[in-house]
Amino acid sequence: MSQIVNPSNQTQPATAAQAQPFAPTIAIRKSCNPDGIGLSHYVLMDRKAAK
Amino acid sequence: MSAVFTERAASGTLFRPVDIGHPVYAAVTDPQTAFWALVDKTRVHEANRDPALLAAYGAKAGQFEQELHALRFGLKPSGVYLNPTERCNLNCTYCYLPDTQRSGGSHMPVETLLASLGKLRDYFRSVMPADRKPRAIFHGAEPLMNAPAVFEAIDAFADDFVFGLQTNGTLLDDAALDFLTSRNVSIGLSLDGPVAGITDATRRTWGGKSVHDKVLRSMEKLRGYGSWSVITTCTTENLPYLTRMVELFHAHEVPTCMLNTVRCTLSGARGIKPADGDMATALFAALDRTHELYLETGRKLMVANFANILIGILAPTARRLMCDISPCGGGRAFFALAADGSLYPCSEFIGLPRFNGGSLLAGGVEAALDSAAFREVTTRDVDRFSPCSDCAIRHFCGSPCPAEAFEMNGGMDKIGAFCDFYKEQVNYALRLIADGKADDYLWDGWDEGTDTVFAMS
Repeated sequence: MSQIVNPSNQTQPATAAQAQPFAPTIAIRKSCNPDGIGLSHYVLMDRKAAK
Repeated sequence: MSAVFTERAASGTLFRPVDIGHPVYAAVTDPQTAFWALVDKTRVHEANRDPALLAAYGAKAGQFEQELHALRFGLKPSGVYLNPTERCNLNCTYCYLPDTQRSGGSHMPVETLLASLGKLRDYFRSVMPADRKPRAIFHGAEPLMNAPAVFEAIDAFADDFVFGLQTNGTLLDDAALDFLTSRNVSIGLSLDGPVAGITDATRRTWGGKSVHDKVLRSMEKLRGYGSWSVITTCTTENLPYLTRMVELFHAHEVPTCMLNTVRCTLSGARGIKPADGDMATALFAALDRTHELYLETGRKLMVANFANILIGILAPTARRLMCDISPCGGGRAFFALAADGSLYPCSEFIGLPRFNGGSLLAGGVEAALDSAAFREVTTRDVDRFSPCSDCAIRHFCGSPCPAEAFEMNGGMDKIGAFCDFYKEQVNYALRLIADGKADDYLWDGWDEGTDTVFAMS
């Protein structure tokens, strides 16, 4: 599993931090075929079980 | 980059700012595609002029729009709720099924259940890939009131469906547990309090007896089983105890729970509806506690209704539950079979005759999907009514639930019962992402089978 970006782990060197005082933009999107969609109310963690 | 995109960017209306309550970050969204970015909050109003963000998003916006459209309008059903009886041995305050049905209703005859599953199997084969099985969830009322029919159906169609059972847990004797677990049936229980006095406020027998200890015994028997969960319905009666609930669940090694807002479809539930802000405060405290327990023990307790919100933000197409999207999953990703053989968009509608889509055996699934009753639900679109149509997070929320909107707020073009709570929930999720903690609130491997299609950091 890929780790979601943790801005606190992205420590910049002091000089870079001074040159870039703004927090870095974070944006992520993952995509898949929506074949595992299940019912409301019910938890469908086991995507493989539906295969 | 399309001309429309360029025009929206040039006019400064592409991104909508959202104050997520984070010390460093604010969010911007493009509601039309469910795109989001977290930006330095001191520069949030400059996002519409950020060349790097515009270029990166502009390259993907069309793809994201198509993806969201397919998710919202292009799905075929892949699951069914099965209500094998109208009866229940409990009289919960907030049930969405009429009490006359639950106290004196009928069982579905086993022959009808078997014939129905045969017809459903044939339908799902016609719309699903051959390598996938549909989901069939026995639901209630209390399905184990008609256990012989349920068990015969599970064995008869073991090769055709992946079965689950949502039960109040009071009828799960050793024989029932052995039957269900030996067939790998997913089991969902319900418990509303950490102690009997709290559970008893909303969940009791018709005679007023407590069922708390019976559910705890069922939970203990299920410890170690791979596929089970517990639902807590959040009301004014138990809201102060949600943190204790998750401590109880974690101690019992419950793999997954749901801390659901009470559905206000029928009037009995509305008297115990929590205020949105109170609901948010209590849920976030409980979620914070699950995180502490995870850090202390290394074992996660998944709060699945929140996890689904988080996944809906990170990977819209990977979401599992279909309440938090518009149109909701009722009548398009799944539907419900009532004990009298009628089809409804979702079990939530079974007490509302207006939404009866016709008989499964006499009319069939396709006729129900195309019925006016179903279309009233499946055409409820947050892009088309106010205030949702102007909301920055409308496709992270979906304004659930249409049954509530219709019955409680007066129409399908009205908001659901917990609008402000959903906004706060999305803000909380975005704060977790900003702090790099989102994975801690999701099950390991949640993104298996997904591709990262956008990443900026």
